[in-house]
Parts: sequence; structure tokens; C-alpha cells
Amino acid sequence: MRDFVVVGLSHRTAPVEVRERLAVAPDRLEEELREIAAHGRFDEALLISTCNRVELYATSANPIEAAQTAKEALAGRLAGSAGDDVLYLARGADVIRHVFRVASSLDSLVVGEPQILGQVKEAFDAAKGAGTVGTLLGRCFTQAFATAKRVRNETGIAEGTVSVSSIACELAKKIFGNLEGRRTLLLGAGEMGESAARSLRQTGTQLHVVNRSEERAQKLANACGGRAVPYERLTTELADADVVIASTASPNFILTPKLMKGVVRTRRHRPLFIIDIAVPRDVDPRVGNMDNVFVYDVDDLQQVAEENLSVRAREAAQAENIIEEELESFLSWRRSLELAPTIVALRRRFAQVAEEEVQRALPRLEGVSPSDRAVLEAMGRSLVNKLLHQPMTQLKAGASEPDGAQLIDAVRRLFALSAEEHSADEPSTDSPKEGTVTQLSTAAATGSTGESK
Amino acid sequence: MKAGLFIATALLYAIACILYLFVLTRGSGKAQRVPGTVFVAALGAHLAFLLLESPAPGELPLADISQILSVSSFGIGIAFLLASYRFDVTILGAFVAPLSLMLFLASGLGSSYAPVPPRVESVMLTLHIGANVIGLVAFALAFAAGVAYMVQERLLRRRQLGGVFQRLPPLDVLDTMGLRAVLVGFPLLTFGMITGTFWLLRAGGSEFYVSQALGLVAWAIFASVIVLRVAAGWQGRKAALGTMMGFLFTLLVLAGYAYRAAGGSA
Repeated sequence: MRDFVVVGLSHRTAPVEVRERLAVAPDRLEEELREIAAHGRFDEALLISTCNRVELYATSANPIEAAQTAKEALAGRLAGSAGDDVLYLARGADVIRHVFRVASSLDSLVVGEPQILGQVKEAFDAAKGAGTVGTLLGRCFTQAFATAKRVRNETGIAEGTVSVSSIACELAKKIFGNLEGRRTLLLGAGEMGESAARSLRQTGTQLHVVNRSEERAQKLANACGGRAVPYERLTTELADADVVIASTASPNFILTPKLMKGVVRTRRHRPLFIIDIAVPRDVDPRVGNMDNVFVYDVDDLQQVAEENLSVRAREAAQAENIIEEELESFLSWRRSLELAPTIVALRRRFAQVAEEEVQRALPRLEGVSPSDRAVLEAMGRSLVNKLLHQPMTQLKAGASEPDGAQLIDAVRRLFALSAEEHSADEPSTDSPKEGTVTQLSTAAATGSTGESK
Repeated sequence: MKAGLFIATALLYAIACILYLFVLTRGSGKAQRVPGTVFVAALGAHLAFLLLESPAPGELPLADISQILSVSSFGIGIAFLLASYRFDVTILGAFVAPLSLMLFLASGLGSSYAPVPPRVESVMLTLHIGANVIGLVAFALAFAAGVAYMVQERLLRRRQLGGVFQRLPPLDVLDTMGLRAVLVGFPLLTFGMITGTFWLLRAGGSEFYVSQALGLVAWAIFASVIVLRVAAGWQGRKAALGTMMGFLFTLLVLAGYAYRAAGGSA
């Protein structure tokens, strides 16, 4: 029976040195997919490649073999036998759940980060471009996008920022409202300070850089799109700034209450937001008690990040419920796919028996007129319809229930509607698939067999 | 009919209060518009109530202190709706709606308030009341912004950056809103005090001296808030505190009148 397969690695299983060896550049995705599809074995294929994961999704009539092929294909690119340790492999409903979780950012390094959905969409578009997406993967990913949207809207998984520099930005916005045209003063050259300054710069603030080494200040200013200012002008700069990011390597406090008292007077009480990222700290804690001066040090920011992360973790639990609901709805769609061929096969089997019996009876009767013959044939058909009416109704109703697959399976077993019954009218699934989407979708519509799971 | 409408209005205000507070403290992705809708419904019921009270079509019922309170409460609601479009501060309903409710209930307590004697009615009195009611409305918004500022600043200093902090507007927005509302309210208060004094002199009495004194205090507070803001660049917590004090004194003025009116009838 046609089923889903995923093989891949992610930040959970492999370090970046391994991930980067498998990564595929976005503009190479289509080409890569065509190559993979040309090897055969897969009915459909889709490749996701981000900095945190590389995964090959496929469907195949022979999932076990396909999974092996896919794994070998990926492992081949990893030197040595590293593949077995870092590659994971899943089949069936687990694949669907995984797609939904990945798209909803539940499997991300930073749970709830928004980029992954876009990356999955790109991967989907690339696969559509390469013509390797059919009904099953198509439906699966479309529903994954809808699921991701639900998770985002119905849970707080994406709420709250979790990186120190974006928390600093959020706080600045909560103090100053619009940051456009405000001024940030970057004091010192620490790495975290630089990253916070960049984030603030992106929100439209001007950036001034002050450093003991003027050369270093100039370099930083150039790198972040700011202006270097001589260290002697620190006091004036403090009076003009709205946000100060302190990240010097100084062992003593630089922004002392004495200095800041003068600054606050010159500022005429305009609010000042000081982010002290330096360790040891640059800002005397007493400065934080001054009116309209707000001081946050690195621990404060870190703590906010952790709180937000724990909120996300709580929301993630709720998101998992949504994933399960959507998974159930997807599986029920799959069962309805299996239902149609089962009904056709069942009818055909019964009609065939009636036809045979009528043909067998006719020679034994004498003097059968064409109209008698028609009556007999009609009776055969009518018997079949009457006998099948109730089971058909039950089957259609039962197929959408959670255990519908078992019902369909039972019917197939009871009436021996086995695989060979199908293979007669089904395009061979073994031939290499250069397949277009339409071909793939017909295969999908008739592709299921009576094999139990 | 009137009593029923009064109860309905009060209930709607109360429900709006609870919903606003719920959205502020608990947050709610989907129901964000619900409190606003209920508040608008309360204003609708309140308008109907005012129409019933209205002495003549198109005229505001401002005959006694009870009606003045009722109209003020209504005005605060309308002004808040306008302000929330301008500043995107719908969540401040959590502070405005209780004010509306309080003033409305106070207006109901005073069904026994004595009406202003007809002999002292004059254009001056109408101007005095009108200017002061609009001024009160402006100060009420400034007060709500001030309360929100104090809450927000406290949360920021205590590093409690969770739900409430996220949902309240930025400090700068609250500060600007408070400043503008006071700048609108202050000239009206001044005008109201001048017209009031004129009227009082013409009516030939000085019986409301407590309220007048309180009014002067409120005026002085707002005057200093404005001077300190404009001249000394005051911002933030102190300005918010001053604004809140000023508003409380204007409320005291009203309370003084109400007490006086109730006493007069007894």
C-alpha cells in the first residue's frame, strides 16, 4: 500500500558540521529532486533543506524499500558510516505528524520561530516545480500549512521574544512607542552589544558608537551603519540618546550615579533606557532608581528570555493537541481515498458472480425467449443491488470514523478483494516515475490495497 | 421604564468593566473586541437614558448635579472611543470603564439632589457647566492614561514583563496622551472657573465656597503640571501622579456639589 516515508537529520540528531554536508541550496532544490525522482522507487518526493534540518519526504507503493533507498541516498553523501547515527527514518502516520510539527515550528531549535513555515513552503514550491508532488504529499503539505496557521493563531507558541537582542528591542518599543528617529548609543565593543545595536538599528533608530579606541569605534560604526563619536563626548552623547547599550570591558562602573545625575538634568527628564550587557557591569545599579531611567542588565534580559521560552513550552503542549486533531483529519481523508476503490471492487465482484450464475443457468432452461433472458439478468442485478445496499451504506458511513481503516480492511478481507484484483486496472507502480502530477494523482486515487497496516 | 434603563446601563457598564479587566489580565486572542462592543452597547443604553431625561429634544439634561454626573460619564465613554481610534489604546477601557460606571452610579444615587433653583439659571451657568463637563472628560482620560502609566512603569521596573505589560500601550504613548488631555482640559477648566465665579457673583451668593476652594486646588495642580511639563520638561511618573491628583480634586469638587445639593434637599 502506498505510504509516506521520511528520512533526514536535524539539529536534534546531528551537529552543524554534519548538517552542512547534506544541505542543499534553495536554487538547487528542484534539480536535486529531479535526480532523486529519476532513480525511481518513489512516487512522490520532496526535499526540505534548512540550516537546522535536511529531510527527504517521499511516498511509495513499497515504503520499506523506498525508505532504505532514501536512507542510502542521503547516507552516501555523508563520509564514512556517520549516516546510521544521525539519520532518522519514519513511515506512515508518523511522517504526517512530523510534517505538521515541523511546519508548526514545534520541532525547531527555537520552538515557535516563524521562519520554518516559509522554508517548508519554499520546499513545497520547489517540489511542485520539479513535478514530484502528487496527491498525497500535496494534500499532506497543504494541510501542514493550515495546521501551522492554526497553531500560530490558537496557541501562544510564537508569543514573546527569546533572544537577548530582540528582547532589548521589544522593551525599547514598550518605552518609546515608535523607535523611528530615536537614537541608540552603543558604548563599548562587546559582541552582544553589537548584535543588540544592529537589531535596534533595524527598527529605524540612529546609531552612535563610542569606544575608547576610536579606530574600533569607527569599524563598528561602519559595520552597523552608525556614526563613530569620540570618547570625550560621552556626556553629551548620553544626554542626546534614548537607548544606551553598554558593553565595555571596563572593570569599573562607567555610568555612575554622579555622572548620570548631570546627564538626567541636561536631558530634562526624557526617558532613558540603558541596556547593560557588559560583564562586569558598566552601570551602577543605583542609576536604575533614577526617575525616567530604566536599566536592564544581561541577567534581566536572560531571565525574560527564559520566561518566554517556558511560556512557549507550555503552549507547545496545546499545539500538540492541534497536531493530533489535524493528523486524524488527514488520516480520515486517506481512508476516504481507500473507500472508493473498495466500493468499486466490491460491486464488480458481486456483479461478476451474478453474471456468471445467470450465464450458467440459461443453458439449462428450455425455450428462453430474449425477454425472459432479460428478466433473468435484471433479477441478478437487482439481487446484487439489494444485497449490497445495506453494507454499502454502512461502509460509507463507517469509513470516516476513526477506526474506518479497519472496516475497509475487513470488507476487503471478507470478500477477498485483494491486491491482485487491483493490479489489473492499476498502472504499474514499479516503473520509474518521471511522472507528472496528474499521473501521480490517478495512481494515488487507486493506489491503496487491502494490506493491513 | 427609566429605572429599568438605568439598571440596564449600569449592568452593561459593569460587564464591560469586567471584560476589559479580563482581557487586560488574562489576554484573549479572539475576544479582544468583545469588551469594546459591550462598552458601546452601554453607551447606547446610556444615550437612551439621557434622551428620556432630556428637558427638550436636542438639549442635554444638565439641570442638576445628578444629570451633570450622568452626562460626564457618557462624555468620558465617547471621548475614550475617539481617543482609542487616535492612539490605539483600546485596552485602557480597563481604567476608563470603571470611571464611567462609578460616575453613572453616583448620578443614580442623587435622585434626591435638589435641582438648581430656576432663579439662578443663566447663560453664564450653562457655559460654566458645559466647559467644566468637557474639561472633566479630558481630565478623566488623562487620569486613565496616568494610571496605566504608573502600572506600566512599575511592571517595567520590577521586570514583570508578562501579559499585562505586553497588552498596555508603550510608556511614551501614555505620557503623550496624558499631556494632550490635560492641555485640552486645562483651558476649559479655567474658562469654567471664570464663568462660574461670574455667575456666582451675579447670583449674589458665596455658598459653594468649599467646592470653589477644591476647584482652585485642582486648577493649581493642573497648572503646575503643565508648567513643569512644558518649562522643566517633566515627563513620566511625576507628571502622571500630578495629573491623577488633579483629577481626584476635580472629582472632589463634584462630590462637594453633590453633598451640598443632597444636604439642601434634606
